[in-house]
Amino acid sequence: MEARIVNKGQLPELLDKLAKDYDLIAPVKEETLTFFRKISCAKDAFLEYTNSDISPKGCFLPQSEKTFSYTYTGDSLEIVKPEGAKKTVLFGARPCDTRAITTLDPVFEGVKFGDEYYSSKRENTVIIGLSCTKVLSTCFCYAFGGGPCDGTGSDLLFTEIGDKYYVEVNTDKGKALVDTYSQIFSSQGADQLAKGKEELAQKLSGEFVRKVDLTGVKEVLDGNFELPYWNGDDYKKCIGCGTCTYVCPTCHCFDIFDYTTGDFTGDRIRCWDSCMYPEYTLMAGGHNPRPTRKERVRNRFMHKLKYHLDRYDMVGCVGCGRCVRKCPVNIDITKIINDLKEVAQNA
Amino acid sequence: MPNPTALTPYPVTITKIVDETSDVKTFTVEFDDPEIMENFGNKPGQVCMLSIFGEGESTISITSAPTRGKFLEFTVKRVGRLTEVLHQMEVGQKFGVRGPYGNWFPYETMKGKDLFFVGGGFALAPIRSLIDFALSDQYRKDYGRVEILYGSRSYDDLCFKSDLFERWPSLSNTGIYTTVDRGDDNWKGRVGHVPGYVEEVAPSPENKFAIIAGPPIMIKFALPVMEKLGFKDEQIITTLEMRMKCCLGKCGRCNIGSKFVCVDGPVFSRAQLKGMPQEY
Repeated sequence: MEARIVNKGQLPELLDKLAKDYDLIAPVKEETLTFFRKISCAKDAFLEYTNSDISPKGCFLPQSEKTFSYTYTGDSLEIVKPEGAKKTVLFGARPCDTRAITTLDPVFEGVKFGDEYYSSKRENTVIIGLSCTKVLSTCFCYAFGGGPCDGTGSDLLFTEIGDKYYVEVNTDKGKALVDTYSQIFSSQGADQLAKGKEELAQKLSGEFVRKVDLTGVKEVLDGNFELPYWNGDDYKKCIGCGTCTYVCPTCHCFDIFDYTTGDFTGDRIRCWDSCMYPEYTLMAGGHNPRPTRKERVRNRFMHKLKYHLDRYDMVGCVGCGRCVRKCPVNIDITKIINDLKEVAQNA
Repeated sequence: MPNPTALTPYPVTITKIVDETSDVKTFTVEFDDPEIMENFGNKPGQVCMLSIFGEGESTISITSAPTRGKFLEFTVKRVGRLTEVLHQMEVGQKFGVRGPYGNWFPYETMKGKDLFFVGGGFALAPIRSLIDFALSDQYRKDYGRVEILYGSRSYDDLCFKSDLFERWPSLSNTGIYTTVDRGDDNWKGRVGHVPGYVEEVAPSPENKFAIIAGPPIMIKFALPVMEKLGFKDEQIITTLEMRMKCCLGKCGRCNIGSKFVCVDGPVFSRAQLKGMPQEY
């Protein structure tokens, strides 16, 4: 694998150049929260963040997105689709979030049905990951095969070492970008920094507070839909606010509806939806296959720990810890995993 | 090749509307671009997404068999906002259709067998595509006797009356059994529920597939009857409905365990359903 070095002092220059040549998406601080937004210059980027409040999945599956506009009079119908995605660089995504994008790929780039909106953004975006320098008390990426310096899903991975960034070139897309800005990406001395990255990864791997062990969890969920565990306290606490699904980088459910813009015109919109809402599965005739919070809570965790694995051979969680931090009633997926592991051991 | 433009509907024009009951209509539509119908390739049991602009989309089963002609029929009950608007539309007006989606009735496996259809109320609509497929001039020789046992709440609630009382009985080797929950002056036939009638007609399971669709309460009481008659789980085929938004296996909501009804269904055998969570 190729590697490069970028001096920290040159990062503003790089970001300014990227902002000029691409749509540049980077972490931005708004009041107390961190989001991923389009920025126009380097000083708007906020790179001292640990884990953004909202993940960058919106770069590929926006919170709301127009799929087409229509003009409809009853007797005539015209549909106009938006243009494809612009050349974009997503800079500074943490390893859990870049890994999460790889779990969305099989959903949207399926065998039978693709998704032009997702794929257009995916093809036109270069993802530059940024290794973590700290581990939060809610982090548990290691449990799902990730890590604070893991490059899965990144075209380039930046790791901060002293006054330099060690840059791993993971894909051809990343290589093309590095070659374009070769005056900033230096190849000299990159090999010496490789050791520094390894040491950082080693150090951070010892800092996880949460002990999460998936041993036996999938097996206990297989064929045990009516596990008495789901009758426990977790669903009783849930207030169905849907926060966990909005902050989750692997949740991909969406709604589709029409937004009327004039007498004969409108937009078809797709926007994030949440399996925590009763309306999500409610049918027009009144029947609801998941009528209470028990079924909805069970479905969410079954999706993360079993269904996504069954369907795509990939876990549906990357251990970013957002749902743990943001849940107003402290429902904690790491507790659920450990409880299920215990259920498995006692079975 | 995955179809990347799957979320975009094609314009269709309504060419015929039949009032089936006081709240069910059948819409016949043709694509404005005839080439789309040529390549549509819908199979009996599949569904489409209907776009009613200003209201959104809804999943509706194709109630016509591909053998019937270069058109699609959708039988729609007025139950919500979108269907309310659809019911107000007239011949000549347009809406959008995308599809076909989902799997289909195992019509290849069913070849050489007798077919026994059990339908309740409005749910004859999703299985009518297979009835017409098996009764078509082209494929009639591939299937044995075709019997349809169908009931609804009242005479008014019976869908497809001209099929039931004229077209299907006139075709060779068919049997039609109808019943209503409550009789009235318009009804001279049998009065009673569907499961009881199945028991009375007592179809033999030999060399036969049973295709069942109806309200959950009918299914609940009909299945034990089928079992008593000796039908194995593999011989009982049904079709499910779920709320859907994309019909492409992406929007998430129609899952039963790891399966999505929109791409892995809607057609399931009773044997398959027994291996899935009871969450539908």
